[in-house]
Amino acid sequence: MRRDGRAYVAAAGALVLVGVACTPGDDDNGDGEGGEIVWAIGGAEAQPGGVHQSVAELWNDENPDNPVRIEQLPEEADQQREQQALELQAEGSNFDVLGVDVIWTGEYSENEWVESLEDVRGEIEEASIPGAFESATWGGELWAAPYNTNAGFLYYRTDLVDQPPDTWEALCDQAVEVSQSEDIGGFLGQGARYEGFVVNWLEYYWSAGGELYNEDQTEVLFDTEIAAQATEFMADAMENGCYAPGFNTAREEEGRNEFQQGNVAFLRNWPYVYSQVAGDDGSPANGNFDIAPLPTFTGQGTVSALGGFNNAVSAFSDNTEAAKDFVVWAATNEEAQTMLATEGSVPPTLESVYEELSDDPVMQVLGEILPDARPRPPAPEWNQISVEMQQSLFPAVNGDADVQSAVESVRSYLEGTVQ
Amino acid sequence: MADHRATADDDGGILVNGDKPPRPKRGGLSERALGRLFVAPSILLMAAVALFPVIYAFVLSLYDYTRRQREGFGGLQNYADAFADDRFWGALWFTLLFTVASVAAEFLIGLGFALIMNQAFRGRGLTRAAILIPWVIPTVIAAQMWFFMFNVTPGFINTVFGLGNFNWLGQEGWATFAVIFADVWKTSPFVALLLLAGLQTIPGDMYESGVVDGAGPFQRLWYITLPLLRPAILVALLFRTVEALRVYDLPQVMTGGAFDTESLSILVQQYVVRTPDPGYGAALSTISFVVILGIGMIFVSLLGRELVLERTTER
Repeated sequence: MRRDGRAYVAAAGALVLVGVACTPGDDDNGDGEGGEIVWAIGGAEAQPGGVHQSVAELWNDENPDNPVRIEQLPEEADQQREQQALELQAEGSNFDVLGVDVIWTGEYSENEWVESLEDVRGEIEEASIPGAFESATWGGELWAAPYNTNAGFLYYRTDLVDQPPDTWEALCDQAVEVSQSEDIGGFLGQGARYEGFVVNWLEYYWSAGGELYNEDQTEVLFDTEIAAQATEFMADAMENGCYAPGFNTAREEEGRNEFQQGNVAFLRNWPYVYSQVAGDDGSPANGNFDIAPLPTFTGQGTVSALGGFNNAVSAFSDNTEAAKDFVVWAATNEEAQTMLATEGSVPPTLESVYEELSDDPVMQVLGEILPDARPRPPAPEWNQISVEMQQSLFPAVNGDADVQSAVESVRSYLEGTVQ
Repeated sequence: MADHRATADDDGGILVNGDKPPRPKRGGLSERALGRLFVAPSILLMAAVALFPVIYAFVLSLYDYTRRQREGFGGLQNYADAFADDRFWGALWFTLLFTVASVAAEFLIGLGFALIMNQAFRGRGLTRAAILIPWVIPTVIAAQMWFFMFNVTPGFINTVFGLGNFNWLGQEGWATFAVIFADVWKTSPFVALLLLAGLQTIPGDMYESGVVDGAGPFQRLWYITLPLLRPAILVALLFRTVEALRVYDLPQVMTGGAFDTESLSILVQQYVVRTPDPGYGAALSTISFVVILGIGMIFVSLLGRELVLERTTER
């Protein structure tokens, strides 16, 4: 009797397996009917209550025939890219609009995953800030419509520092001084070994006059002397107490936390930190901090690495026309773009919004920074380049490797990418 | 004993049949043929879910890719590249170091816990439950927790021990230590659980006769407990070694692979996901598979001999 029972269970199990294998996917979203636009975007703002949702609702009010539905991707950029890649590699039509990080443009266009937007280039170029527009192009062609941008600020404590420093050296002098007199940490940024480290390093490198490639990425302009200077500066800052303890394991949130808790005097971070600290009544930094453009080595100007997301139209979409309308609208609609700044924590790319919101302190500094901000090369191989730079430069900054040979190996890797 | 049977079943099903002469036919298929017929679906299923990916990965590893685009057949070039890559050797070294150190520490601590839990004392149930808590916590969460504990900010461990700003995760050596420490904390209870199961199969009269013969506590541990616990120890070491060899989440979350804590799995993940090169990624994962399989086989053959020895002495 008992044995029979087992046989039934086994048979039932087999049936279930067969059943699962044969069930057609019922999560089809009715692509064929031409209506819905699926927008695959991730990050905190894509979650319910986030500003991407508000933007989608705004569009849906105006375009009830082609409503946008957000397909929420993970928080981490790498994971978002993997989700999109899985779908696009299989030439799946489930995503119509893709939220594309500024450094993926080249990879996506090379893989022929996204539609060219050359036919609507004019109106997008006219309305968008140049850096964001540039980040959406690859090989001279427009592959995405700018949506939101991002740039690094210098956060500093007004009760500990009179004037924001103009040069990195001055910043470090002040940081060391404050950390000794106040017994808190000096300067914190993104120093852990990940993409953020490369972003921080590039800001030193660019601000010393360095370049990675020429305009169309056919020639390497990497200057080992300037690179050594930037790397040397970081290694010294690790040594002499300019960087707060834990710099080499800090990402965005560790830095934000330390600054918010009043444990560091200076912080390099993205705009989102401003509202977090300003909204925290218990923070010692609240009311005692301000933002400034990042310093340089010469004391002239400022350079920040650009971040942000652009909207591309999937090459496998069944709803290309409507998707294209949406990405253009999201890039150029004043109300939607204003929302990004007022409701969300992601800076808009529409130029006119910056004039309109010039009273807002974050927008004001952004307006100053963005004209000189630079995208990392949106090359197809950017991820490999970034990993290579982390492998070479991170140990050098930490005193575990020779600076000169580290920058040489970055140079030779970059040269390998243009041949 | 339940443990042996579970592992023996994996490869022993047919052997057992082979030992005995087939029973006389009662019409239709012979019992052996019938047995094979019944086993066939699960073998096919296993082949589909376990064998196919392994073979497919090997096939992939023979192709040359530029990012996701297949360029053509590359033979064993990906393997040659891997063996010429310092990062591969670094990752292999860390993986082996991590495995040896963490499994050794987990074994010693787990054995201690198991011996404690095997004693009869008040609050034994509570102790058993308390010891198991670390094992119940998902590894990524434990990793994130230990990141917070070790990291300079907020620096719980430094505060508790008054170490100032000691940078556990930000320097070579100590970063490795921290990752191993977190793993030992996390999985010692698992080893303890397996060993406890083994301990409970040792009859009490063994110890009684030991006491009568004048054996002290250490002699009883050395001459009675450990030899009789051998099969359980082997099973525990097998499970832990294989798991430790494919460690990914702890170093990934705690250090991101910086400061010489990059494991083979982190490297594989990078080439499959972050900087996709399916050929090279497949080659790396095939190498990892071979390493893990090889070490696993050593344990299984030790275990198998153990079982054979046991069976012959039983007869």
